[in-house]
Amino acid sequence: MESADASLLWYARILVEAAILTENLTRRFGEFTAVQDVNLQVETGQFYGFLGPNGAGKSTTIKMLTGLMAPTSGRMQILGLDLATHMVDVKRQIGVVPEGMALFGRLTGSEYLNFVGRMYGLERAVAAQRAAELLDFMELMDHPKTLITDYSHGMQKKLAMAAAVIHGPKVLFLDEPFEGVDAIASNTLKAMLQRMISRGATIFLTSHVLEIVERLCTHVGIINNGKLVAQGSLDELRSGIADETSPGERMSLEEFFLKTVGGPRTAAQELSWLG
Amino acid sequence: MAGITPEAGQQLRAVATLRRQLVLNSLRSVRGRMNLVSRSIAGLLVIAAGLGGGLALGATAWELTRTHKLEWLAAFFWIVFLFWQFFPVMATAFTQNIDTSALLRFPLSYKTYFLVRLAMGTLDIATALGLFWSFGLAIGVSAAAPRLIPWVITAVLAFIAFNVLLARAIFVWIEHWLSRRRSREIMGLLFFVLMIAFQFIGPALDHYSKRPASQRFGYVAKVAPVQRAFPPGLTSRMIAAADRGNSAGALGALILLIVYSGAALSLLHLRLRQQYRGDNPEGNATSSPKSADSTVRWGWKLPFFSGPVSAVFEKEIRYFSRSGPMLFTMIMPLVVILLLWGGRKSFLQHQSEFFFPIGAGYCLLVMTNVVYNSFGADGGGIQSFLIAPVTFRQVVFAKNLAQFAVLVVEVAILLLGVSLIYRPPHVVFLVLTFCWYLFAAPINFGVGNLLSLYSPKKIDYAVFGRQRASETTIFASLAVQLVVMGIGALAIFLGYEYADYWLGTLVLAVLAIPAIVAYLILMRRIDRIVMTRREVLATELCKA
Repeated sequence: MESADASLLWYARILVEAAILTENLTRRFGEFTAVQDVNLQVETGQFYGFLGPNGAGKSTTIKMLTGLMAPTSGRMQILGLDLATHMVDVKRQIGVVPEGMALFGRLTGSEYLNFVGRMYGLERAVAAQRAAELLDFMELMDHPKTLITDYSHGMQKKLAMAAAVIHGPKVLFLDEPFEGVDAIASNTLKAMLQRMISRGATIFLTSHVLEIVERLCTHVGIINNGKLVAQGSLDELRSGIADETSPGERMSLEEFFLKTVGGPRTAAQELSWLG
Repeated sequence: MAGITPEAGQQLRAVATLRRQLVLNSLRSVRGRMNLVSRSIAGLLVIAAGLGGGLALGATAWELTRTHKLEWLAAFFWIVFLFWQFFPVMATAFTQNIDTSALLRFPLSYKTYFLVRLAMGTLDIATALGLFWSFGLAIGVSAAAPRLIPWVITAVLAFIAFNVLLARAIFVWIEHWLSRRRSREIMGLLFFVLMIAFQFIGPALDHYSKRPASQRFGYVAKVAPVQRAFPPGLTSRMIAAADRGNSAGALGALILLIVYSGAALSLLHLRLRQQYRGDNPEGNATSSPKSADSTVRWGWKLPFFSGPVSAVFEKEIRYFSRSGPMLFTMIMPLVVILLLWGGRKSFLQHQSEFFFPIGAGYCLLVMTNVVYNSFGADGGGIQSFLIAPVTFRQVVFAKNLAQFAVLVVEVAILLLGVSLIYRPPHVVFLVLTFCWYLFAAPINFGVGNLLSLYSPKKIDYAVFGRQRASETTIFASLAVQLVVMGIGALAIFLGYEYADYWLGTLVLAVLAIPAIVAYLILMRRIDRIVMTRREVLATELCKA
């Protein structure tokens, strides 16, 4: 009876036009549980920031959602499709910038974008045209013969982002997209993401930088020790609605984050020998 | 540890502990344990080669000393020297080194850093065998003439010191050049030339062995004075001079040997000092000529194949054409043809009908590097395959297709070369080779695909001396090559015995059927395998 209720609840959540939906998503590595019973609900058109301290389970979650890692248990749906049974169909509709950026160092930027476009089934002419537009937009057109391995870190990040969107995905997964990116490149990337959101795409990003999440995202989920400890719109979280211990209290995202995952150590815990 | 501060001693111990921990931690995985087994087998082989070679060299040295022909020791010191210096460069697959330059972020003094680089780098096969063989020579001479023991020990120790320092100097300088893409490509070309040169040693020796004895000794007489000025010759000179009671001559040779060691030390010091001060150009160089072009060329389209297969095929061919080792693989038939051309009037002239099958076998053998670790060069790019909406079977198939296309081109060039140098191969040898490929290629591709998925290893062209494939892969690929080459040889032998090469061809054609079926069955299961292996693949190939 209980499992029937759970299934009903699951299908009810699907009806809410969720772009990303997980049920009791769990991943264990031997004895260690990296992600435990995570129930995510990201609706279409949301810019969702997935926050958490180091080792909290952000990357593991995003890897499971993009098919790079298998869950130990639980269900995942992207755009109404079950990832376990419709892996290729899901991949066709999502774009991913994974942790390692997934680049081929010995191709040029245009060759790589062409390659990715065609892996997503684009016609040769379309792939070439979009590659040219993306290189231009990302200001990478000045380096037509440079191999990716010789790109700077910021250029590689921009190229990885370009590759993730070349097929016009409906959902975009970004693992730390702004890490190691300078302010100029960062602005270019933010502009592109905002444009995608305005056209109805859904973006799921992980980041350590709370300011970025606060400026870009409409919704936030916080994971700590593998468990989803808070989820809601930015306003909900800020106003403390999602925080049951102090309802109505308005706080910054940083304050909420620190309160949720545990604040800085007390003076007694500080390192006595450190200058 | 005289002259080393307690802090430096502690740091050296910490590095040694780190190395031990790395080995122990690698045993946690099945793959690590399998690699340990492979490494143990390699270790036993090294010990056998070391002891066997040492014993043989010792016996030779004993005989030469007994008959007062100590100048001839130079030939053996030269062999040891050449192996010691060239083996690590040529066989990086069998050497493993941790990246000790990463230690620079710790407060190590230059002296400690130097010692760490020197000590850690010398724990390799070439040094182990070089030591075995050098001591073998020393023991042989000492046993025959105990009065020479102090001189022999001094000479051999100086020879060992020179070799260790020179090998490390070569290593760090090559590593430095390989860290820049442009110089890496030039180095690749130089390696290629060197490899070709090595291929000609056999024909050259064969060529000169046919000359009259007087002429051969004439060549030796010309070379002997020159070689005496170099460390292997000096080592032998020192021992020979001591044997004649010419202490001044022996001391002179020792001084020159020390000067050479000093020069090698300076070379090593020069690079390590630069590295210690922060001259590590492994970073990115984005200063390519800027020429904005708003158009992007269309990708390739293979007839009869899907877009993703064409895209992966194009990517593979571009990768082939842009990496030294892979380029070397592609131009292998030219080496074979050069070899054939070099030996056309001598040692090969009676076996010309076998040129084509043997050359074709050689081409497949050289592809092993690529086929058995086919995702190694992709590095983090493996994730592009994993997140793309295509079945992995398409990716693997496209890779095999590209590898097979390279083989076809190589064999076509070989066929053209053989036809021009000698005559077109008889049709039975053409069909025999074709059937052998039908049998050998699916087996190689099938096992290669499995090992690429089960034992992947990232290939980083920016570092030198790291393994190109895991030990498990190396041994498994050797075993497969032995089997397929052996069966090919058996088929030829069968044809030779019964004076009908169609018989051998038929055997290979029959064997090709299960080989192709097994390949197809494996390809059907590739996606299932990848689903279980994807995390290992991504983790192993995305390593920094």
